[in-house]
Amino acid sequence: MKIQNLELVARSVVEGFVQGLHRSPYLGFSVDFAAYRQYMPGDEIRRIDWNVFSRSDRLYVKLYEGETNTRVLVLLDISGSMNYGSGEVKKIDYARVLAASLCYFAYHQRDSVGLLTFDTDVRSHVPASRRRGQLLTILSEIDRVQPSELTEFRKPLRFLAEYLSRRGMIVLISDLYDEPDNIIAGLKALRAKGNDIIVFHIMDNFELTFPFEDMAQFEDMETKRKLHVIPEYLRSQYLVILKDHMERIRKELSGTRIDYCLMDTSKPLDTGLFSYLASRSKSV
Amino acid sequence: MSFLNPFLLFGSLALAIPVLIHLVRREKSEIIPFSSLMFLLKVPKRSIRQQKIKNLLLMALRLLILALLVGAFARPYMTQPAKPAANGTANRGIVVMLDNSYSMRYGNNFERLKAEAQKRIDSMRASDRMAIIAFNENAALLSRPTSDKNALKAVVDTLEPSFAGTRYYEAFTLADRALNEFGGDQRQLVVISDFQRNGWNRSSRESIIATDVKTETVSLAVQNPNNVGIESVSVDPQTSFTRTYTGRMIARIHNYRKDIPVDVNVSVSLNDKEMGRKKLTVSANSSALAEFTGFDLPLGFSKGRVRIDPNDPLKVDDDFLFALERREKLKLLIVDTGKAKQSLYLRQAYTSSADLPFEVAIIPVSSVTPEEVARHEVVVINDVPRLPDKVREKLDDLRKTGQGQLVILGENSEINWWNGYAKLPVKAAQRIFVAKDRGKPWVSLTTYDRNHGIFKPFEKSTRVVLNSAQFFAYMNVEAKAGAVVLAKYEDGSPAIVESSKEDHGMLVFNSTVDNAKWNDLPLKPSFLPLFHEMIRYLSRYNENRGWYALGEGIPVVAGLESVAGAVIDPKGDRQSLGQLTAGQAKFFTPAMPGFHEIRVGPDTRLVAVNPPSSEGNLDSMPPEDLLASIQRTQAESQQAGFFGSEEKAEYARRQMIWWYLLLIALLAGIAEIYIANRSYKAS
Repeated sequence: MKIQNLELVARSVVEGFVQGLHRSPYLGFSVDFAAYRQYMPGDEIRRIDWNVFSRSDRLYVKLYEGETNTRVLVLLDISGSMNYGSGEVKKIDYARVLAASLCYFAYHQRDSVGLLTFDTDVRSHVPASRRRGQLLTILSEIDRVQPSELTEFRKPLRFLAEYLSRRGMIVLISDLYDEPDNIIAGLKALRAKGNDIIVFHIMDNFELTFPFEDMAQFEDMETKRKLHVIPEYLRSQYLVILKDHMERIRKELSGTRIDYCLMDTSKPLDTGLFSYLASRSKSV
Repeated sequence: MSFLNPFLLFGSLALAIPVLIHLVRREKSEIIPFSSLMFLLKVPKRSIRQQKIKNLLLMALRLLILALLVGAFARPYMTQPAKPAANGTANRGIVVMLDNSYSMRYGNNFERLKAEAQKRIDSMRASDRMAIIAFNENAALLSRPTSDKNALKAVVDTLEPSFAGTRYYEAFTLADRALNEFGGDQRQLVVISDFQRNGWNRSSRESIIATDVKTETVSLAVQNPNNVGIESVSVDPQTSFTRTYTGRMIARIHNYRKDIPVDVNVSVSLNDKEMGRKKLTVSANSSALAEFTGFDLPLGFSKGRVRIDPNDPLKVDDDFLFALERREKLKLLIVDTGKAKQSLYLRQAYTSSADLPFEVAIIPVSSVTPEEVARHEVVVINDVPRLPDKVREKLDDLRKTGQGQLVILGENSEINWWNGYAKLPVKAAQRIFVAKDRGKPWVSLTTYDRNHGIFKPFEKSTRVVLNSAQFFAYMNVEAKAGAVVLAKYEDGSPAIVESSKEDHGMLVFNSTVDNAKWNDLPLKPSFLPLFHEMIRYLSRYNENRGWYALGEGIPVVAGLESVAGAVIDPKGDRQSLGQLTAGQAKFFTPAMPGFHEIRVGPDTRLVAVNPPSSEGNLDSMPPEDLLASIQRTQAESQQAGFFGSEEKAEYARRQMIWWYLLLIALLAGIAEIYIANRSYKAS
């Protein structure tokens, strides 16, 4: 995917999404005037526009477009398992578009945007910034990455915990193929430093349903290990274990007010963006 | 254990299919890249093992169902009886077959037979039941199944040897029916016989006695039998027209001994008066002939008897009866024009030999009277211009009472007059002179009805042929409605025509027999047999057989009128055959040897009946051979489906296995559905 294409995709995803939503519900108090709203009890008195009151004899408060200068860092898992895709869309592609969209969205929200790709370690890191060209750099990096290695959360998250000095928003896009303890411990540490975290759990539909029928050798895309599998023997147990895994992560994360969003690659990105925005609004 | 449809067992090869599929698929299982085996590796091994076991169980169940279905459709059956074999205490149903054919008259064989039968009755237990069958050519159930020993003994005591031959098959058929009445008892068949080989015809017989019937044979066969008997007597002809019998009476004497020749005196008697005697030496196991002729024969039927006097234990075949008849000659009237030599060839034909059954009178048409015509049995109108009206009318009447008439139309016949004779079966057209009218020198008599009686000699002989005669001229005739053309010339014109069935008794021949101008038939060998047979046919003269064998059907034929028929047997008992319509034949089967009188209206015929001479041959067969032929093997029973009622039940029990197999398959199917459903829900 070319960077221009990725940007185009991100833009079309985000703008199409935003047009449908209206911007007003997400407006904040900033320097850029956006609109007036009738005074409601509870509004701060200092926000009343007295000029309007003098003209109309009614109380209105001024609303401004939000500008928070939030630092958004997207953590993109590029382990080998992300290269899986039962249909035309691989998880990594889905994750790329999601990451690009979020970056695009954040960038145009005037947030500082950064990117960190990882597998067993940090593979690339574009620190968060609002500078011109930042988005292109990020999109270029997103486009460049190739999944290959194992997944290992402990090391990258530890790095991040040590590296991040200012709090901000961390978006983790991963299939979370690691022990929940490793994932949760790392994320909790980040959360403890005041970061808002949203986790996008990218899963292929086949991973979620395991619809295989015929006996086959399953090859692990990370370890290249092969396993002789009779799907009908394993399906039920596999789904139970998967559900336990996801459930545990979700519970643990929600316990520390980390948003968890399961993304099925067979479904559109909207859900992911909603989750992001909901999370973003909280951080404002 | 065996199978009714063993070839269906090949279906069990289908069991290999799922296993093969499993193996093949295992070999060819593809590699699927998957994101991570992390969760798959966490699946407990025990769970997989349980699933495997479940699946193996399912596979085993499915294979079992398949195997059970294959087994069921192959129709297994137990080769051993389903119920335990009847032990010594079981009720027995016994059928005793007693041979009372006339060969059992040999020495004291019949007494031995009775003694053996009494022994079997004595050995009966109180719960046993016994039926008794006597058999010869026919079989009769003398006693229905009973436990009453006295009644059974009485039946055996009163049994007498018959004069009939032996036929085993019918007897075994009856025995099979009797055995079927015994239901669940242990069935037993006892055959007491001399096991004559003659009584068994091996061709196209089916085995009839059920497999589970216990058989016992008591052989009274005579080793190296000492018997000389009259095998047959040939009496030719049976009817004589002369006082002295000029035919030949030949008796064939057979010595059944295989070791030494035997001297026998052969005598022949008529009406108990000895007519001749000869001494013969008959070689071992061969026959000799004794010929008699030239004895005086009284008018009417005579009772003939050939007798031999060997010193052997079987007397029945030492006498042989036959009947001889002496008749008055057939009265034949030839009516001609009175010209010299016109009937010369006809006269010669009927009087050339003293033993010919014809008494011929020739009279010119000018002198013939109705009375003269009425005195004769057959009238030949030999090419006369016309007949006096009264004579013609009389002839019409006489035909109704059985007189036969041969009309010869030739050069003298007035065509117009004969065409005016309504009862004549032909219409004359013109005289045909072959050379002139047909452009050839002569025509032959080429086509004739080979089944008709008048052509009998030409059927038997190849040396006497009809078409040897040359016909130079004939009266062209056309058969009237109902008349039958019996012979034709080669140009298709009728030559001999018979009157219709409604007015039977007249033949028309349309060429002369007086000289060689119209044909040379009188000069040919075919002339005599043709004209003899025509007269015989017209007189309804049928030669009877001298004797019949016991069991043969004797034809009793009515004449031209409807009459009552009856038979007087040798004991003097009269058996009515009912009313016989004209020409109807009934067959009477005599029940005893001896002379029988057959009465058809006013006519009485004597018929001799002899026991079948084959019974004199006492050669026996091994009883086990007979039983092997008559008792079904298990395979025959099962394949041909011959079952008695008890057998049916027994075989049904033995074949019940397939129902059980289906039931087990059904249960296995239910189990399979249950386990498969659980697995499905679990997955």
